[in-house]
Amino acid sequence: MEYAIEARKLSKSFGGRKALSEVSFSLPEGAFLSVFGHNGAGKTTLLRILATLARPTGGSAKILGYDLKEEAENIRSHIGLISHAPMLYPDLTAEENLLLYANLYGVENPEARVKELLKAVELKTRRMDTVRGFSRGMKQRLSIARALIHNPELVFLDEPYSGLDPHAVEIFDGLIQNAREGRTFVMVSHDLAKGFALCTHALVLSRGNVVVFEEKDKLDFEAFQATYSKTVGLGVL
Amino acid sequence: MATPSTFRQYKTLLVKDVRQEFRTKEMLTSMGIYALLVLIVYGAALAQTSNQLDILQMSGGLLWALIVFTSLLGLNRSFFAEKEQGCIEGILLAPLDRSVLFLAKATSNLLFLIIIEVIAVPLFWFFFLTTTTPAETFPLMVVPLIVGTIGVAGVGTLLSTITMNTRGKDVMLAVLFIPLIFPLLYACVSATTAVLVGGDTALNTFMLSLVLAAGYDIIMVLLSWVLYDFVISA
Repeated sequence: MEYAIEARKLSKSFGGRKALSEVSFSLPEGAFLSVFGHNGAGKTTLLRILATLARPTGGSAKILGYDLKEEAENIRSHIGLISHAPMLYPDLTAEENLLLYANLYGVENPEARVKELLKAVELKTRRMDTVRGFSRGMKQRLSIARALIHNPELVFLDEPYSGLDPHAVEIFDGLIQNAREGRTFVMVSHDLAKGFALCTHALVLSRGNVVVFEEKDKLDFEAFQATYSKTVGLGVL
Repeated sequence: MATPSTFRQYKTLLVKDVRQEFRTKEMLTSMGIYALLVLIVYGAALAQTSNQLDILQMSGGLLWALIVFTSLLGLNRSFFAEKEQGCIEGILLAPLDRSVLFLAKATSNLLFLIIIEVIAVPLFWFFFLTTTTPAETFPLMVVPLIVGTIGVAGVGTLLSTITMNTRGKDVMLAVLFIPLIFPLLYACVSATTAVLVGGDTALNTFMLSLVLAAGYDIIMVLLSWVLYDFVISA
């Protein structure tokens, strides 16, 4: 079995505080991993390390076969990140933002790719408008286009639903569903029901430690929810 | 997907900075207004001095004080757009050598500083030097202006990256920036004053100061370039 992520004893400390403690798991290619945990459990830290935005203080990982520490630039060519921050320049237009990222990733025929993605996220008619005037939902849709501009094999989602209205959530879900074919996803979420519905694998972090890592088929939601409430110590849902 | 060329990435980042600034004019407007205000303050401060005051001897220092303080204002804003809406992380996620980001940002800062100098230096001349007679060598002052601005943009870009995430970044940038550029400032003031005042030793002083300033530029800009990966990833 080919693994998209192989994490071995990944640790991260901020000064004397341990944010992650020897986190190990292997995620097969094409899987959808939902990462759950309370605030400060280390979810975002784990995601930032896997996305090469932070350096681990211990352990190792292979992302799409590349070593996290030694081959970060190769990893970056194959990953995308969608977070609650859209990572879009507010004073550039939608098209200019996507062209910027397309050129940074060396996308061939960037204009055609940008056109295609703007159509997919239903922002073709707003392509010449600056992002500053966009609603939160529109920014998030454009953010999906930004993250998929180079056709990444692995996509990280860091609480992508925060601040979205129900209609925007519906559109966002549709876009993610369409993008799932042939891609691996890792999503950090507080929403247990949504995260569980989307995932093929679930990982629960508590105070930087892995409490659960399991295929969804081997878990039933009720039991998972009970474990989550007990281990994480929060009455979620 | 083709391997992105370093030059294409550099050009993309530079065009982005320039396009964004010309669209909002935030940095240029604030630096321009600040430069004008400093000139007004200079005017008020020097208004009561006697006629014996040789403004020509002071002009190099006054001009460089204007440039340094105006630069600080601009450099403080140079990563504002990157911080807004997490854009810096979007850029750092791309497969790009961090030094390309440094070069692009330093180039755009240099460009904006030169634009301000093109406006501020003639104004300075108009306010303070029209009643005096500068030496014939005065056109050479362009050289220390360019060499000095390169150093200010290079070191300033590195320091504004370091202070981008700190609390009280405005003060922090000034505290780091002014001591670090002191040798450059000293050399540029000396070279500018020499060509404005003239005299037998003016060209010698000018050349010596210029060599010092250029040496500073080469060492500090290279050092900033090399250290940038560590600084931006910290």
